[in-house]
Amino acid sequence: MTAIADLRDTLTAVLGPAGVISDPVELRTYECDGLAGYRVVPSLVLLPTTTAEVAAVVRACHRAKVPFVARGAGTGLSGGALPVAEGVVISLQRMRALVEVDPANHRAVVQPGVTNLAISRAVSAYDLYYAPDPSSQQVCTIGGNVAENSGGAHCLKYGFTTNHVLALETVLPDGSVVWLGGPSPEVAGPDLRGLMVGSEGTLGIVTGVVVRLLRKPEAVHTLLADFPSIEQAGNTVTDIIGAGIVPAAMEIMDQLAIEASEAAVGAGYTLDTPAALVIELDGPADECGDLFEAVQELCHRNGTTKIRVAADDAERGRIWTGRKAAFAAVGRISPQYFVQDGVVPRTRLAEALGTIAAMGAEAGLRVANVFHAGDGNLHPLVLYDDARGEHERAEKLSKAIAELCVDLGGSLSGEHGIGTDKACSMPVMFGEDDLATMDRVRRAFDPDGLCNPGKMLPTPRLCGEKPGPYRPHPLEADGVIERL
Amino acid sequence: MSSSVSDRTSTDGLPTVRPADLAQARDTMRDAARAGHRVLVRGAGTAQSWGAPVEPVDVVVDTTGLDRLVAYNPADMTVAVGAGMAMADLQDRLEGQRVALDAARIPAGATVGGLLATGDGGPLRASYGTLRDLVIGVTVVLADGTVARSGGHVIKNVAGYDLTKLFAGSLGSFGLVVEVVLRVHPRPEASRTLAVPCPVTEAVRAAGVVLSSPLEPVAVDWHDDRLLVRFEGTTAGAVARADKARELLGSGEVLGGDTEEAAWSGLAALVRGEEGQTVLRAGTRPDQLPEFAGLLGTLAERHGVSAALTAGVGVGVTTVALTGGSPAGHGAVLDGWRARVLAAGGSVTVHRAAEGTFEVAPAWGPAPATAPLLRSIKQRLDADHRLAPGRFAPWF
Repeated sequence: MTAIADLRDTLTAVLGPAGVISDPVELRTYECDGLAGYRVVPSLVLLPTTTAEVAAVVRACHRAKVPFVARGAGTGLSGGALPVAEGVVISLQRMRALVEVDPANHRAVVQPGVTNLAISRAVSAYDLYYAPDPSSQQVCTIGGNVAENSGGAHCLKYGFTTNHVLALETVLPDGSVVWLGGPSPEVAGPDLRGLMVGSEGTLGIVTGVVVRLLRKPEAVHTLLADFPSIEQAGNTVTDIIGAGIVPAAMEIMDQLAIEASEAAVGAGYTLDTPAALVIELDGPADECGDLFEAVQELCHRNGTTKIRVAADDAERGRIWTGRKAAFAAVGRISPQYFVQDGVVPRTRLAEALGTIAAMGAEAGLRVANVFHAGDGNLHPLVLYDDARGEHERAEKLSKAIAELCVDLGGSLSGEHGIGTDKACSMPVMFGEDDLATMDRVRRAFDPDGLCNPGKMLPTPRLCGEKPGPYRPHPLEADGVIERL
Repeated sequence: MSSSVSDRTSTDGLPTVRPADLAQARDTMRDAARAGHRVLVRGAGTAQSWGAPVEPVDVVVDTTGLDRLVAYNPADMTVAVGAGMAMADLQDRLEGQRVALDAARIPAGATVGGLLATGDGGPLRASYGTLRDLVIGVTVVLADGTVARSGGHVIKNVAGYDLTKLFAGSLGSFGLVVEVVLRVHPRPEASRTLAVPCPVTEAVRAAGVVLSSPLEPVAVDWHDDRLLVRFEGTTAGAVARADKARELLGSGEVLGGDTEEAAWSGLAALVRGEEGQTVLRAGTRPDQLPEFAGLLGTLAERHGVSAALTAGVGVGVTTVALTGGSPAGHGAVLDGWRARVLAAGGSVTVHRAAEGTFEVAPAWGPAPATAPLLRSIKQRLDADHRLAPGRFAPWF
């Protein structure tokens, strides 16, 4: 433990006593992120306020060979900010400055601790906004968004964090500082900025972000449509895409999710409808209005039982509150729950939901569904009661659902990341050589394995010594892809 | 100067292997590794002159046999395709949808893999980005023959590192891209372009008027003393917005059909350049365009070279073509202009250089702060430096 004690003294000199937490009780606050099932108490928590301080902390860790984990608001749902035993947590919460707003060039420069929503609020007066909008946007930080390549409800049309970040000031695992990217999306050579986005804090710590801002759309139209079945809601989405319309968002909630959301926020969703579809269109007023008519027509054609059109921003806000509250609201109808984040090709949504329902029934557990229907990103919520000894069964079901998504040709994660939670499922989605290649890239950045170790890529320590036997990827079995 | 393979697009006379599928691509790379052969990957050859000249190689891997349409799923908005397929051919095969990329090299036959490896884009980059933003999965073969996959077949996916990005702009120095999965977008019903006569000094201000309006142009480029503002959408919508933009700017002509096509083709021709020219592309902060355009004029005059440029005004991407004068003149303009762009935090990539230019000015400017990192990645992926040797010299 002397390494940690030395580190504490060294870094107290750099950060001041307020920048170093070593009290065991206080350290407990940092033992987990939004995935509360995993907990590890860190040896130290450091609270730098500048890039130079972050670099000094990382250099000291690098010298002492002490692992470090960066942390933003701790809202992550995959255990990406889970501390490492005998390691330190570097919290970016004190780096909350909006460094520069540059409306002429449609961009802003922010520190990593700035919340996602704070950016849009700060530039609203210029009719600009920051497009990626994860449901936790009021609290989650841009640094965390960069680490996870966060999406949100509107990424069907607008893309993800990676499409909205121009440059990243990054402290590499040896403590050196570089800017990745530049003042324009055009860069010379390989796109290291794009590699850093979504790397889950394993390649370095981002201490400054230049984000791209968009002009607010002229018109926004939002509706909430009830359907007699999830399938009909899904078919509506298919028809909308088939008509060449790309809405800003298309979200589906099932009856259980609606029940929970209504109990929590009472946004006026229909309680007994089997499915609700939220559709939002935005863009130039005339075209947007025409397309909104077309979308409503497609809802009717697929048997909608009720369409509620948001009359104004306040009502639009209520509809979205109902949708965005669904996660936390599930706590109202279940003592505990697991959230999953798998993705299936849109065309296999119905099959995925049917299988998930059957798996839930077999496990004797309820599963609530909220999902981004436009891009096939599912968020099944597996409800369970620890007091009834359901934890293990629920965890197993949750993992099986994520892996089912891969079996259907999709992905383990659409936006929450792999982190600790799904690292051991990675071999289901990627072959040994794929993972080994990712590991080569990781070592190029972090040869000593100190930067958020144990996340994203499976390790024998985490997943057991023996990797499972190779199974052909379903797409391989279908002849869509080949693996050699 | 040693004679090199790539300052022209000629790779004549070198042993060339043309794999037809992933297995052959893997075997080709594996054989090259066993023999210690240096490898140049080549698609249609439309960008072999990008970056620094490649040192002599032992084998050329021609990707054009990897041209299979693997899977097109319009309802999922995805298409998987062999990296050697020409983008123009792919576009022809997508019913009602498109890859939202209009790089100047596409009509010249540029392949999907080549467009990814160059990180190239056209005017549509303002709203859709480049292939780095549109590729959702890749299959690559590394220098040692390892086949690696990243991403997948769904448009939303954050599992694992996004290795695609590493290959975007890598100019064939990190591996052979064999297959890519792309996100596609619906083809718009119509397009109209407002062309406003405007000196480059006014381009940023005029573009700002449109970009701060809610009219949502898909591309805003300055070329040939005109600001070109393109609108896509429904026919009524595109026409109405082009008209509104004209009202906002107080002048201009709304182009459609052939005249519109001609305006954008002219821009693409400048970007492609031709034999004997030096063409470079810079990324800068958008509002610095007038400054760098002015500097270019000054330098070109001083060194007896003609210079033309076109710029994506909202995104800060400028392509410069130098014509006439001497190689020394080209080199001096490249050097002087690049130094100022780099000092402002921007970047410059040479797309082609007139014979002799590189004897005066290096192909790449001073190594960026990321050079040690790039070297480290290169070391892990191609330890013997056998792929496209010299392409990024002296950076890595």
